[in-house]
Amino acid sequence: MNAQGVAVIGVGQTAFRSRYDEMTYPELAQEAVALALTDSKLQPEEIDAVVFSMAPTTFMGVADADKWAVDYAWARGKPFMRVHTGGATGGSAFQAAYSHVASGQYRTVLVVGADRITETPDAQFVLNLIWDAFYEQDFALNTVTMTALATQRYMHKYGTTEEQYANVVVRARRHALNNPSAHLKGAIDIAAVMASPRISWPYKLFDICPRSAGAAAVVVTTEALARERCARPAFVTGTAGVSNTVFMGDRMGPAADTDFADFSELKLAAHECYRQAGITDPMRQIQAVEIYDPFSSFQFPQLESLGFCASGTAQRLSDEGAFDMDGALAVNPSGGTLCTNPIGVTGLVRAAEAARQVMGRSAAMQVKDVHNVVATAIGGSTQFFTVTMLSDEPRRRATAG
Amino acid sequence: MDVYVMGVAVHPAADAIGDRRLEEMAYATARAALDDAGVTRRDIDHVTLAASDEIDARGISSMLLAAPSGAYLKDEMRVTDSGLTALFLGAMRAASGDLQLGLVVSWNQSSVGPLEDIARMRAEPFYLRPVGLNFAIADGLFAGAVAERFGIDETAVAERVHQRMTAAARNPRAVRRAVRSVAEIAASPPIAHPLRQAHRAPVTDGAVAMVLASGTWLRAHPTARPLARIAGCAWTVDRYQLDAERLADTARFSAALQDALSRSGAANVDALDVVELEAQSGWVDLALTRSLGAGGHVAVNPSGGTWAQNPFFCTGLVNAAEAVLQVGGRAGPHQVPGARRALAHGSSGFAQQTHGFVVMEGVSA
Repeated sequence: MNAQGVAVIGVGQTAFRSRYDEMTYPELAQEAVALALTDSKLQPEEIDAVVFSMAPTTFMGVADADKWAVDYAWARGKPFMRVHTGGATGGSAFQAAYSHVASGQYRTVLVVGADRITETPDAQFVLNLIWDAFYEQDFALNTVTMTALATQRYMHKYGTTEEQYANVVVRARRHALNNPSAHLKGAIDIAAVMASPRISWPYKLFDICPRSAGAAAVVVTTEALARERCARPAFVTGTAGVSNTVFMGDRMGPAADTDFADFSELKLAAHECYRQAGITDPMRQIQAVEIYDPFSSFQFPQLESLGFCASGTAQRLSDEGAFDMDGALAVNPSGGTLCTNPIGVTGLVRAAEAARQVMGRSAAMQVKDVHNVVATAIGGSTQFFTVTMLSDEPRRRATAG
Repeated sequence: MDVYVMGVAVHPAADAIGDRRLEEMAYATARAALDDAGVTRRDIDHVTLAASDEIDARGISSMLLAAPSGAYLKDEMRVTDSGLTALFLGAMRAASGDLQLGLVVSWNQSSVGPLEDIARMRAEPFYLRPVGLNFAIADGLFAGAVAERFGIDETAVAERVHQRMTAAARNPRAVRRAVRSVAEIAASPPIAHPLRQAHRAPVTDGAVAMVLASGTWLRAHPTARPLARIAGCAWTVDRYQLDAERLADTARFSAALQDALSRSGAANVDALDVVELEAQSGWVDLALTRSLGAGGHVAVNPSGGTWAQNPFFCTGLVNAAEAVLQVGGRAGPHQVPGARRALAHGSSGFAQQTHGFVVMEGVSA
């Protein structure tokens, strides 16, 4: 079979909140699968293969979480694999499912994942263990302190203020008011963000995502079946990823290939994704983004590396409202990762929300006249990046591989 | 599939590799595969890794391992099921039309990781973990189930283990160890009835890497010489619960095997020349060989299988490497003459919850 077009025909996600004490992990995953199958108008037997999206299992304490969930995802007897690229897991899992179909090996593939970050009393202690045991763990590195360092470097380069980051939080919580699945939401102001407890300079509590529990699932299939089953599928028109070295010190200075303050790896991935999708003018051709932003400082460097504006200018555009729902580019209409972060599925939620925008199923979150939406995911020491394009028209392939 | 193996490398195996960090093992193996393919890291556009955080004792293993595996500023993904699963995903990525030349890399250094403690943390916390489930107990339950279902007995198991150890002695990639007699194997200490210590294949450290190319890349590089074509692959998962029905049920194994054969254009298992099965014990070896149903002309585990080397997480990918070497005529003293089609198998999870197969086909010069 030759390479073929791929589209999303259904998504499902549970509500995200701190705890799901009334459900086991596989039951949580099953709820998202059932919602995605219903949304796709498919029966479980119509799924040909399953990709499981799960990042470190240490938070919820069962290393075989995915295998435990096999029966609950109706996966018995099917091809099944778990993808794990840290915070980028959901983005990678979605792209792995894309490869199942694009390669011509499988027709309809389910991507599903669930996470329960609050099962562990201290997620940041667990996240310290992702670093090298000999050289780095003793430095009190965790994802908060790590990204705070990158944020300080970005502020130094571009003069960004804490208030400008606070404004990102205000917008995210406002957008999340339209999202029934969002964990944190509400009408807050910049003063409230600034008054929240200091965690690691420049971060205050509200600059940081919550620890969420919940599940998500997405169904991808061939272009032919998508047209048969879905009035308005979301076609996958671009997929790309880039991995960098774990060491932040190697991602700064004149000899470095990339700069960890700018997320400049994302430029490489976006370049390839846009090449596939035929995007030459992102700000004109893309109407919305669902980007991975567990911290308020993650939006500006991403929007710049994705080509929506020049380096150091996103903060001004943000202040002016360009990234509001009625702005030039709707940034995270769902409220994004700042409002909801079930790590193992967060990247998948980004792809699901992007697909729903294209499919016209975003309800109160819906952006008008959507043709192309970008989803990103980021993992490791801000070193794994995925960029995925969902579009209302299929990709035009030059050749079949 | 229109996907080809261009290079292959297997790290020298040992019961314990204590003089290299994982990063060094991954780097050396990935580099050797690139050299075998006659390409450089600059030529590849993607990397597919397989690693277990729990075995590697890292929160996110690929954070430190991705770059030494060749993935610096490349499109990289990781799976956690087994090394062989990375080959399946890598092959699909190369067949997608978006990516052309990539590395598949996997490793295992469980000599410094307590596998049975890891197994307990794999078990779900409500029923299996409280009863102390680990790999030995799961393998013992499997042994009991197939003894009852298929009449496999301890004598046959001891004979099979002896046969595999004898074969492994001829394999240049095997860990060197004395071949134990049938009587020694039969008298080894009990682990989990009816499983005995010598029924189990010793777990080793190791790493394996392959370079995969799309047909598009190959046709654009007419001087490149593929080692094998990935003719077809298939994989499957069974239920998590270890009840009697699941333990001795080989239906998933047989269905995925048939799927892989059919995707590769092989009429049946007798169209193969070589099969390399992953069997963590003699009980598994006998049960899977029985389900395979191959005729006498098909060489099953000429490498000695898991008794040659058994880098637990990536043993299936080692089997795939053996299959590539067999169809390329490069296997060594255990080369099967004229081998053209070789099937590699891998499994993972408690009592083989998953099975995967890949058919490697020789490519004419």
